[in-house]
Amino acid sequence: MFLTRSEYDRGVNTFSPEGRLFQVEYAIEAIKLGTTAIGIATLEGVILAVEKRVTSPLMEPATTEKIAEIDAHIGCACSGLMADSRTLVDRARVEAQNHWFLYNENMSVESVTQSVSNLAIQFGDSDSDGNAMSRPFGVAILFAGCDEDGPQLFYMDPSGTYVQCDAKAIGSGCEGAQQALQEAYSKSLSLTAALKVLLTILKQVMEEKLNSSNVEVAIITPAAGYRMLSKEEIENAIKEIPA
Amino acid sequence: MALQELLQLEKHASFGLKSVDDVELSEEIEELNSEKLTQLPITPFTMNKNVQLRDSNTGRHIHINMEKGTTTLAFKYQGGVVIAVDSRATGGDFIFSGSVKKIIEINKYLLGTMAGGAADCSYWHRSLTVRCRMYELRNKERISVAAASKLLANILYNYKGMGLSMGTMIIGWDKRGPGLYYVDDSGSRYSGDLFSAGSGSPFAFGVVDTHWKYDMTDEEAYELGRRAVYQATYRDAASGGIVRVYGMKPTGWVKISEQDCKVLHYKYADEKMV
Amino acid sequence: MFKEMQSLANAQMTDASPHKVAGFYPYADNGGTLAAIAGDGFVVIGGDTRLTTGYQIYSREASKLTKLTDKTIIGSCGCWCDSLTFTKGLHIRLQYYLYENNKPISTNATAQLVSNMLYQKRFFPYYVSTIVAGLDADNQGAVYSYDPVGSTERHRYRAQGTAGSLIQPFLDCVLGRGNQTAPEPEKLTKEQAMIYLKDAFMSAAEREIGCGDFLQIMIVTPQGVEEERFKLRKD
Repeated sequence: MFLTRSEYDRGVNTFSPEGRLFQVEYAIEAIKLGTTAIGIATLEGVILAVEKRVTSPLMEPATTEKIAEIDAHIGCACSGLMADSRTLVDRARVEAQNHWFLYNENMSVESVTQSVSNLAIQFGDSDSDGNAMSRPFGVAILFAGCDEDGPQLFYMDPSGTYVQCDAKAIGSGCEGAQQALQEAYSKSLSLTAALKVLLTILKQVMEEKLNSSNVEVAIITPAAGYRMLSKEEIENAIKEIPA
Repeated sequence: MALQELLQLEKHASFGLKSVDDVELSEEIEELNSEKLTQLPITPFTMNKNVQLRDSNTGRHIHINMEKGTTTLAFKYQGGVVIAVDSRATGGDFIFSGSVKKIIEINKYLLGTMAGGAADCSYWHRSLTVRCRMYELRNKERISVAAASKLLANILYNYKGMGLSMGTMIIGWDKRGPGLYYVDDSGSRYSGDLFSAGSGSPFAFGVVDTHWKYDMTDEEAYELGRRAVYQATYRDAASGGIVRVYGMKPTGWVKISEQDCKVLHYKYADEKMV
Repeated sequence: MFKEMQSLANAQMTDASPHKVAGFYPYADNGGTLAAIAGDGFVVIGGDTRLTTGYQIYSREASKLTKLTDKTIIGSCGCWCDSLTFTKGLHIRLQYYLYENNKPISTNATAQLVSNMLYQKRFFPYYVSTIVAGLDADNQGAVYSYDPVGSTERHRYRAQGTAGSLIQPFLDCVLGRGNQTAPEPEKLTKEQAMIYLKDAFMSAAEREIGCGDFLQIMIVTPQGVEEERFKLRKD
């Protein structure tokens, strides 16, 4: 499939004759190696859920963090190279705090996403002040939050492109999961129903058996803001879904 | 711009503005958006006290009225920390405001007090709020009072000698229990059981030193703080307005009372009569 | 420009003689007075249009009020060149805000931004008195006042500038009513606020040389911004 691309896929600065940037496309492919992450926006709030791949019983599952708090009203879920995601998550936090500092108001979810995409697009930018990466970031991120426009979900890919979604799946199981989301999603979904949908889909696409230590769930509501579900809460939610 | 590069001038050399034309003004303004909010442009005369800013027409000295004059107070006791402040801001002899919030709520477990330049205090406490929040997000635990006060002291040390005016207490509760630090514009930072700052502090100190006991009840402690600040507003013309009292407890800060000096004055006068 | 200033600063540092402390004259005091009153669903802000230097009148038509959005007005007076530069810079910042956030900036966000922008020049301040007046998210009137380096507070009413210390006590009397025993007046209307504002400036123009010529008033309501001019003494 990639055979014809060999001449033009060495650098991020060169388009192929067909007008493609292969390195960017490869980075987008890299996400499909990552763990599955799913987000659903409902009228009551947004839910993020990610699979954690526990590759060894000797591994401490709590140390892999794929869902992160950006600010009290925004969270994000990442899939892909987690080391890259650290940089992006930190930028999102800094921008959100700076926005509060400057304007004394919460930054909107879209503005946070845009500020992170500004960093993501800087790859190969030799003119930039030394902060730019020489390659695209190998992560896709779901930004979920509640601002003055209500609950919102944004998806950003390694090229820095972002788009607003009602529901979105990324990572290795994304194709099956996205299909399942389209069937299960409706605008009027309640938060508890959405959580059920989410875990059911995650269960289908995960190779391992779904349990409370290989999945992370965060809920962002207008009233309570960002909140990570505890192990017990996840266990209870898993009991609710059909076996 | 090109000339500037040729001469190899520093970025912030010309009053923080690179040039007077619009495009570059906008560049400068854009920088506000980056992480440089705590890096203020320094002017060539910032460090030189001999250069006086004057009116171009009359040659008069320009005194930029910065809001000043205060009594702030914080002390530890068995139940935590009491924080009490007044609310008057003066510029010269004019009372700019009688309702300033001199206790700055950094987060649920941290408070700062404001004495000296009001803008200096509120700006740097705001910047401290951001830093403490970033610490929390990055480390998934609250910042200690010691670390928070050190962050502020480090910033102030960087601007030492440039004319900032701040004497501030950082009060909080962390793993080590109640914390109380005094940080000022020289970059010093002390931990202690009792601090007071501002023009009314000698009077407040007098009251607290006389009546302070470690094993006071909460109510006794709050009343001592209130009384001390009231006495300072009575004797110091630059202090007055509302006496605000906060307490720092293991569960975070609590607002105890906000009373007009006038109300307190007659209350204490009545008590004397009895 | 920088080099000249640097050499001036250096000359100061090496000059041993205490008699020859040459000043640096970057500021002018061009006077001007501002006042604003907030109420339920409205805010009015007034500024005189006289521009002076010492006893000389430069202009009788210098507007000190600038409309920032449909809900927010800024008034700025003091050193005229600083006022102009600051307001221009603020306009640019507001454009950035619009592009980055896809929405017009709120009054409360403007208020914080103005404070931060003033403080950015902490070591060579804009020599200005500033008032930001507008409607907040609940359509309540909001008045924010600033010292030259950005210390700010929200008030119900506020006067700033050369006649600020004359007008503020008047507003304290009719609006603040601190320590007064007379019964509370009825809820403040827009019309009554306008009368207070005109009275205040009329009286200030009687006693303050920097205040006069015209009073420019901007009235902000949820429907938008209206403007009015009111004649003051011209002597």
